[in-house]
Amino acid sequence: MTLVVDSYVERDSWLHMWEPRCKLIGLMSLVFAFAFVQDLWLLLPMLLVTITLYKISKLPISFLLQRLRYPSFFLLGIVALLPFFSGRTIIWQWGWLSIYREGCESVVLIASRFFSVLTIALILTGTTPFLTLLQTLRSLGLSPILTDMTLLTYRYLHDIAGNFATMRTAMRLRGGDRRGQPWFHWQLLPQFAILTGTLLIRSYEQSERVYQAMRLRGYGLPKQSGSPEPAHGRGSFIALGVSLVVAAGFVLVGHGGWGR
Amino acid sequence: MHVPDGILPAPICLAGFGFTSLTAWFCLRTINRSPEPTQGIPKAALLTAAFFSASLVHIPIPPASVHFVLNGLLGVVLGYYAFLAILVGLFLQAVMFGHGGLTTLGINALIMGVPALIAYFVFRLGDRFPKTFSRRLITGLLAFLAGALGVGLATVLFFSVILFNLPSDLNAEAERAALATLVISHLPLIGLEGIFTAIVVLFLERVKPELLRNPWSKAAS
Repeated sequence: MTLVVDSYVERDSWLHMWEPRCKLIGLMSLVFAFAFVQDLWLLLPMLLVTITLYKISKLPISFLLQRLRYPSFFLLGIVALLPFFSGRTIIWQWGWLSIYREGCESVVLIASRFFSVLTIALILTGTTPFLTLLQTLRSLGLSPILTDMTLLTYRYLHDIAGNFATMRTAMRLRGGDRRGQPWFHWQLLPQFAILTGTLLIRSYEQSERVYQAMRLRGYGLPKQSGSPEPAHGRGSFIALGVSLVVAAGFVLVGHGGWGR
Repeated sequence: MHVPDGILPAPICLAGFGFTSLTAWFCLRTINRSPEPTQGIPKAALLTAAFFSASLVHIPIPPASVHFVLNGLLGVVLGYYAFLAILVGLFLQAVMFGHGGLTTLGINALIMGVPALIAYFVFRLGDRFPKTFSRRLITGLLAFLAGALGVGLATVLFFSVILFNLPSDLNAEAERAALATLVISHLPLIGLEGIFTAIVVLFLERVKPELLRNPWSKAAS
């Protein structure tokens, strides 16, 4: 089963071959360490680590740019006003309009952290097959209910979205769902509500068939034997150790106040 | 209404994960006490996918368009599974589209999930009304409240988290004023989502009432 999120998991970089549990712990510790960064001088090392890891992952730049696009607009909407309202030290003024140094620094800090955290998260999800990621989370103690729900939701997301699109087309062909018109119609609300209600009913009925099929295949019964543990190369543990040291370094240096 | 990565300081993100773990543990414990816990998993998963699809539809409200959050409706239909469904939905959004984030997964789950659970408890108040009351009226009213509360509380939580955690030198009064303005500007949308939830719930009540009274989505009594 090839999943949409698994577009680049077949590559042969070292990060692709890193043992999934070590990779998850190592990269997530870096992600949280970067979230701890508060000092501007730590941004350069943080960006260097991020870019180096992305380079090692052999993931294409277009993949990163595509994934950065939407959240960047959202982030811009939140922080765009900070330079004009946040801070005391004026660095530029024109009439009532002022730009503050502290606000600009906040924007640089947030944007850099956002880029680094998102890129490292992308390396994790881009170099690990989705199913392996879920198995890894389960092996680290995540509830089976949560992992099964995630897997099934992902499995049926495209099916249900396809059903929904077909239902909307049918509705439009019968004169409903006038989304093309640029104004709001009160009629839209009950139309869309009934469409949503019908989708919920269809999904519910489908879920009953899915559950029966799963039961027939032994779902819910105790497992006969566990799957063998993947082999852990020494390199995976060394890489995990390096990641943890780097992450601890960012947290300790940032909170120790060095370099201020 | 997702907080992206990089905005919040790490202690807030970690606290978000802590409280999310506690809430998820509470929901899982309640689900595991039901007669057949595995029965609800495919139902909750497919309904999560349905909510995911429906919440992507935009309704034109000039000069922009809006989409419903549907966390109140999710609470009404999925009960204790609602919080887990939101957690799963947010995880998939972060992995598939980069919406929200992995460090903010806990905070985002609390922002959307806790109001969904509150919406569920509000809707369940209908069981306590005597039979003499009009069933349809009570269901519609409570569904409206559940839908409006779901998105309303999520709005307040979202803007509070953003405004009180930005590394800015805004004074407390300005932050409170900004929060009040942002919430008030969302009131029409909150009302609209309440009406929408009421219509969907009344439709389900008429066509498939078992969807609203499922033993798999409730605590075992």
